[in-house]
Order: sequence, then C-alpha cells, then structure tokens
Amino acid sequence: MTTSHEGPRLRQQSQDDPRVMLDIDAGAFEPVPPYPPRTEREAEFYTLGDGEMFLNMGPQHPSTHGVLRIVLKLNGEQVVDLDPVLGYLHRGVEKISENSDYHHIVNQLDPLEYVSALFNEWAYVMAGEKLLDLQVPRRAEYIRVLSSELLRISSHCLFMGWFALDLGGLTPVLWSFIERDEIVEMLGALTGARMLFNYFRFGGVNGDLNHEFMSRLGSWMSRAASHVEANTRLLNENEIFVRRSRGLGVVDRETALRMCMTGPNLRATGVPFDVRRAHPYSVYPELDFDIPTRSEGDSLARYLLRVDEIKQSLRIIDQCLHQMPDGPVMAKIPRKITPRPGRAYAAVESPRGQYAIYMMSDGTDQPFRLRIHDPSFLHLQSVGLLMPGNLVADTMAVMASLDPVMGGVDK
Amino acid sequence: MDRALRRRLEARFGDRLTGPVRQRHDETEIRVGPGDVPDTLRTLHDDPSFRFEFLADLCGVDTGLVMQVVYHLWSETTTDWLRVIADGLSRDDPRVPSITSLWKGAEWMEREAYDMFGITFEGNRDLRRIYMPPDYTSFPLRKDFFLADDAARSPGAGVRHQEQTHTPRNAPPGRAIRVAKEA
Amino acid sequence: MAVNDRAGHSPGGSPRVAGDGDAEAHRDLPPETGSDRPGNGPAALERVARRDIMAPIVVPNTLWQSTNPAAYDGGRPAEITHLREFGLTDAGRRNDARWGALEVIPTKADIVLDLLRANSLWPLLSGLACCAIEMMSAATSKNDMDRWGMFPFRASPRQADVLIVAGTLTTKMAGPLIRLWEQMPEPKWCVAMGDCTVSGGRYKRSYSTVEGIDRVMPVDVYVPGCPPRPEGLIYGMMRLQQLIVDRRGQWATRPIGPTTPEGV
Repeated sequence: MTTSHEGPRLRQQSQDDPRVMLDIDAGAFEPVPPYPPRTEREAEFYTLGDGEMFLNMGPQHPSTHGVLRIVLKLNGEQVVDLDPVLGYLHRGVEKISENSDYHHIVNQLDPLEYVSALFNEWAYVMAGEKLLDLQVPRRAEYIRVLSSELLRISSHCLFMGWFALDLGGLTPVLWSFIERDEIVEMLGALTGARMLFNYFRFGGVNGDLNHEFMSRLGSWMSRAASHVEANTRLLNENEIFVRRSRGLGVVDRETALRMCMTGPNLRATGVPFDVRRAHPYSVYPELDFDIPTRSEGDSLARYLLRVDEIKQSLRIIDQCLHQMPDGPVMAKIPRKITPRPGRAYAAVESPRGQYAIYMMSDGTDQPFRLRIHDPSFLHLQSVGLLMPGNLVADTMAVMASLDPVMGGVDK
Repeated sequence: MDRALRRRLEARFGDRLTGPVRQRHDETEIRVGPGDVPDTLRTLHDDPSFRFEFLADLCGVDTGLVMQVVYHLWSETTTDWLRVIADGLSRDDPRVPSITSLWKGAEWMEREAYDMFGITFEGNRDLRRIYMPPDYTSFPLRKDFFLADDAARSPGAGVRHQEQTHTPRNAPPGRAIRVAKEA
Repeated sequence: MAVNDRAGHSPGGSPRVAGDGDAEAHRDLPPETGSDRPGNGPAALERVARRDIMAPIVVPNTLWQSTNPAAYDGGRPAEITHLREFGLTDAGRRNDARWGALEVIPTKADIVLDLLRANSLWPLLSGLACCAIEMMSAATSKNDMDRWGMFPFRASPRQADVLIVAGTLTTKMAGPLIRLWEQMPEPKWCVAMGDCTVSGGRYKRSYSTVEGIDRVMPVDVYVPGCPPRPEGLIYGMMRLQQLIVDRRGQWATRPIGPTTPEGV
C-alpha cells in the first residue's frame, strides 16, 4: 500500500473565496509528525480516512498518570485508533545502573513505580540474592511482606481515587489520599522516607520494626477495615460510576495473554495468574490468602478486583503480625558486593502486575546489565486495542482502569 | 530446578541449541541461534508438553562482543522460569525475526530493544523509537555509548535533542511523498 | 472584498473603488486596510480573470494578527529563545500585551495587585514524576494547600499563575514544558520542586535529562528533597508568597537570566 504523506497542514482554502489560501498557525501544532512515516503502523495510523481527525492528548493533561502523549484518531466523538507516545520521562535508569554499585541501585529503582516503590526494590534484591546465593533471615522476609502489602493497599487506594477522578468524581481522591498519607507515614517511621523508601537490602531490610511504626500500624489496623468499606461504598453504589465503567474496555482472556498483561488486569479476565501463587517467593507459601479473580474483563471488574485485593492484603498483614519470628533482619554481607558472574531473573507481584528484574553480573561490583520489566509498559500497549469504538471521554477512564505509572513505563 | 524440564528440552531441541541447558536456582536457560527463534518459541508455545504460553520479558543484551536477545517464558507445567537466549547477533547489524505473530505484546518490547540497542526485529510492523526522540541517532544501552561522569562534559551539556515540536515556519511546503511498500 | 497579492504589497492606504459613480461619497470613509492598488470592486475580477486562477493565491491571514501594530502597543512575535538571549534583549524587559501607553501605571498598580496575587496563586498541573504525588498529597486533605488559596490546579496554562515543576525534566519533555511556560500569561512564577528539577538530582549523569530546569526557564523558588515532604512544598509556596509581597511592583523589571554559570 503506497501512502502519501504531506505533513501537518499549514495552509487552508478559505471558505469565503476558494481561490484564497489562508495560513493556519495552528497547523504547526498538529500531532502528525513532520517526517514521512517510517513504519507500516505509522503510515496506517497517520493516514486520515473520511471524516476523521487527529486529537492530541499532549504530555501535559489533567489526568494524573504522568507524562504520556496519546494521539487519537477520531471520527466525531468516537475513537477510531490511538497511538501512545512514550519517552517523556525516560531517565536512563538502566544505563545509570550499569555505572553504579549494587548498593546504589536499590535507591535508583525506587522512582520507577514510585507509587509502590518497595516492589521495585524487592525484585532487585531477590535477583541479587540469587546471584550471591544468600539466605534471607525469616524475620526480614516477614518484614518485607508486611511493608509490601501495606504499600499494595496504599497503591490500590490511590488507584480508586484516580479512577474516580478520571470519571469526574473529585471526592474519592481526597479520601484515598487520606488513607495513603496514613500508610506512608507509617512506612516513613519504619524506613525513614515517605515515598522513595530505599529500605530493602541484599540479605534483608535496613532496619527492624520500631515502636512508632507498631503503634501507628496498630491504630490504623483497628480502623482499616471500616475505612476501606466506607471508601468503596462511596463508589460501588454510585450509579454514574457503575454505568460508566461497566462494559468499558473489555479484555478477553486470549487478548490478555497475547498482550502479555499481568496482575489485576489479567485476573479480571478470568486467568488466575498471580506470581505469589504461580511462582512463589519469600514466605508467601506459608501465608493463607486467596487470589481474587473475575471474568467480565471490563473496568468495573478491574476496580472491584483491586478492592478485593485490598481485603486480602489486610488478611496477609494480620497473619504477618501474628507469625512474626524473631531474629536478625539482615544477613551478613561484605561491604563491596561482587556476585558470581551469571544471570538472574526475579519477579514479584506488584500492584500493577508482574514486576521483574533481569540482572547480568560479570564478577565486578557493578552490574553488567540490569533489565527492568515493568507491567504498566505492556498494559499501555493494550489501550490501542481497547479504545476503538469508545468515546473520547472514555479514553482516560480506560487508561485509569489499567492503572499505569509512567515512571515505570518510561524508566 | 526442574531436571525433567531439562531432559525434555534437550530431547526436543537438542540439535538447535548452541550451548548446554543451564539451570540455577529456579531458572532454566537455553541458547539458540537468531534464525531459530520463531520456531523454537512457537514450539514452546504450542506443544502440549511445554505450553509456555506466557511471555514474561523480552530484552536485548550487549555483551561487548556480540548482541543477544533474551526471552523469559513461564508455563504451568514446570516450576522454573525458562530463559531463551538468541545468541550470536553481530554488533554491527543485529537482526532477529520478530515474535509479534505469537505475542502481540512483544511489539513494544522489541521497539524498546531497537531503541536502546539498534537490534532490528524483522517482521515487527512498528519498529520505531519509543523512548528517545524520533530523530535521536545513538543507541544508549550499547557498550560503546559511554555515560559521562559529569553531565557538563557530555556533548549536549544537559539540554539537547529537544523534540521537534512543529515544522519550522520557513520550511518549504510539504510534498506528497510516496512510501513504497517493500515486497 | 479586498484581494491582496502576496507579492509584497503591504497593507495600508485607501483602496480606490474603481468604476464606481459614488467615489466622492466614499472618499470620507476611513481607509480600509488593504492594498492601494485598484484591486477592489468589479474591476478586480476582470484583472484576476486574466491570470491563472487555478493556482491558489497564498495570502497572509489578515483577519486577525497578533502583531497588529495598532493593538496592544505592538506585540512580540512568539519564538522560543534561549534564556541567555532572553535576558539580554529588550524582549525580556518589555511588559507586552498590557495597558498600551499607560506603562507607568501598571508598575504602581502591581504594588497592590501583587498583594492580592500572592494569596491566590493558581498552580498549573505540571506533575511529571514522583514529586507529583507529593504535590497532590500537599493539595489534599491532610496537608491542605487550599488554606493558602492554591486549591484550583488549573489544567490550562492560560489560567495559571505559578508553574510547579514536579518531577524529572527529560530532554523530550523540555520542549512541551517550555511551550507551557510561554503560554502562561504574565506575571508568572516558577517553583522547582524536587531534586531533579533543582539540579538534575539523582539523574545528573543521565543522557536524557535536563540537569535542573533553570537551564530552560527562570526559577523563583527551589524546593529540594527527593521527594520533598508536603510540608516542605508548602514552606516553599509560603516563601514564594513572601517573595511576591517583598518584591511587589517589580515583576516587570525583574532581572532574569541563567542562574547556572556558563560551562557548568
């Protein structure tokens, strides 16, 4: 198929006198790239059909996912196709990690999925422990699970808030941020920082539980169930919310597997794949929890699934507190870490899906290659399949229901 | 460590493997040549004794001597992660057949490997840059792309490669450019 | 209808309504903007008919011009200039699109107006990365920025006063962010939140980040931290309010320029 590419329109025939051509200054900002299309998909996308137009949801827009640019091809109000443009937050973390010591990298990986930073660290230290053949003390494992599940609850609360915000509700965000603030203050008492924790280490965690953390945790746990119930009741019974999200962005099982989706987005389509059960790590085999699964695959199912996961996380935290063993919180490792030359792959179940680190070591104290596999990257790929046929206003709703975090997508 | 998996892999792919099947902790690793990648992965995906239907990761690696493409797969039949390494790509013109026909989700991962290493995936319908601006000329994660110790000494001094946001006002008017489809 | 030939005739002068018996009656009318050649009226069609009308006639859009010399004391064409040149040229000094000939008054009115602006700064939503979450946390119930009047985070730069850049600025995003900054109407202030915007932070070595937004735009308040606590951001905004009040009336003549020395 041969296509003709003319670039953005800078001149337009005047409606008053067809012999006259007017300058359009706005044509300079059209989302069509100023070079001829380089790939088949680009040619197919940037060719307008009959009655179609482009709309650019630019890197800055009020939705709170971060800097993502989506070029929509619209037929009136309906989206025909869309092309996400990434890279506005690409910070070169992998390259910086190749030039850093192993200890520094724990802090470097935090800002990737900044909403749930401990999972990034966890995958990394698991891969390092495989290369170092380290055994992690059981108390450290329980603390890791405890703090990570707290952060999972916080991340899911934020998801609820942002999903409602993209559908137009302003109150749930405020309630979610109250929950998030309490959890994050707790973790700040434990780790020292509110958001980019830098807490996990090879062989354990940085510091033991302390009084302030336990007192905050205790008082929060006594209110947690009722707070979660109140927050979710705000949305579950809201007619606008339910009617807008039901049947929106339906993913079926085969599509989800083909698009390599993981996490709640995959479980909402009926595939009960959870890394904690499929490929158990840490002390999850000793803990008793369910994997919520739904089969509708629409945005409402994804939302309700995350609410169920919050309840399961509360269960896990309860068991951790009851079964917490005594002992050291960190194994003895040398100050300069030189793992054996080799490769290691470690995956954890982050609130968004499977978060994995593939590490190659060459025997020195800097990793040779650090590959970060982020789940939101693949979920954004699926937006192009879910959107056609929907209206423009539903674009952000579908994106919010997939819960992407651009820090991880762009690395 | 799944010994049975190793035996099955050696039995099935013995002739195509370019190295021994390695196992450590909970990972099994096989190496194949770049041309064998689609067949191998399709066999692993379709064969009822393997059923590796879940592609966990796709990445590129630059070892300094050769380039590699690494795939991670998961199956319900085994407790191990399977790592398939397409070994032996040249550093000057690395080419691998694309697996987007098997997993459409690999499209963006291959785009990222192209953007960071320059590995061309033949058959990927959308092989353009994903992280860097479209007019960027280097491949950042290669080993010959050196990260300066101090950004002030890097060529762009911290501000460069700003995306071209619009056609310059004095540019000549666009012509109809025909993009021929390659047979 | 005025048909202007683009071959270089500038608008100005009065058109002659050729071939019209009421030419004397029209002489007292104010001249229209348009070419002074006899290009209007029925005679114009004859002339054009002899030319090749299949080729489009490209004309500048005279329906509305932002640089119309009769409006707003002359406009400044919008162009993206580097900060170094901006400070040295007259463009950095001029308070355009305001008040026309009454340039003395805005300086005096700003003394009062800045007191009002300080208590009602509307930020532009420019959350790029992790600091955006702490900015949102500063705006929500527990640490409430609405107490200082900063609740409405405007989505459109045309309605915003202060640009809080929260998160790492990459070279790809630098273009759109500068465009946002230029779209904001004056007076405007900029707050660099987080280590990445102050100096590049943990990404100082990266190949694709801008080491500090003061390389591309003038910053008024730097809020360090990775990420800064919400209370830290609120402290920064309170200092910005103090700064606006202390320097009231001086926004139009404020010194701007690169704060990063050459070669750093």
